[in-house]
Amino acid sequence: MSFCLDTYLQESENYEILISKAGFKESKKFIEDHAPQVVYVDAGAKILGVRIIGIPPVPIGINEDKDTVTLSYTKPCYGTAVIELPVKKEEIKNIRSLAINPYKK
Amino acid sequence: MKKALILLGCPEAPAQTPMAVYATYKLTGLGYEVTVASTPSAMKLLEVTDPLKYYIKNKIDIETCLNNLVENSFDFLLGFVHKDAAVSYFVTFYHILNIKSSMAVVFERDAELLKKFIEDLNESTETTIVSARAYHNPTPLKVKFDRAIKQLGE
Repeated sequence: MSFCLDTYLQESENYEILISKAGFKESKKFIEDHAPQVVYVDAGAKILGVRIIGIPPVPIGINEDKDTVTLSYTKPCYGTAVIELPVKKEEIKNIRSLAINPYKK
Repeated sequence: MKKALILLGCPEAPAQTPMAVYATYKLTGLGYEVTVASTPSAMKLLEVTDPLKYYIKNKIDIETCLNNLVENSFDFLLGFVHKDAAVSYFVTFYHILNIKSSMAVVFERDAELLKKFIEDLNESTETTIVSARAYHNPTPLKVKFDRAIKQLGE
């Protein structure tokens, strides 16, 4: 069964909310500052089973040492949060395949 | 038949629900089949406002709509933007649809936030923007919306 971020966030506690109730641009800068590597995807790209919301290019932080990704998570009434969660190497590979440009760092 | 999608934001701003009903009425008059995408609570507001579905015939949960959205599936996108998250949602729908004809109705009490939302939309879309400092009273938005929608119909 493929990974679904919404289900994971409901059923697991193994993730970290780094900031919450933020704006998208604030979240974007946070991811760029926080993650060792950043790839950028189109708004609406399917990341971890859900369509990512944002103003393109939308950053996804990758930490290969920890096997985690850091991404923005937006809901209409709650603004944007930045979450970091562990994923399989295969999911990181999937995210890289959606990148619209090479790593920023 | 042309298809229009109305995208609602968080329903905490009172001006949104009456403007959504009004916009559906106006777009239907222009020959569009209108679908309204919203959060469950915004949908409840619409259902109580229009119990006989006189104006709003088609409603869909915003997340379901997003997950199933494909390019060119609508001819016109109208979004209500009064929060940062609503900017992100509108821009995301705009890009997935690759839409040629769209309008963002931007409203906020705070002039600085209003300006920021407009700038963010202008940076990432070529949408028509209708904006006003508004929160409770829909009239300033309605006046500007009427002017913009008239141009759409010409």
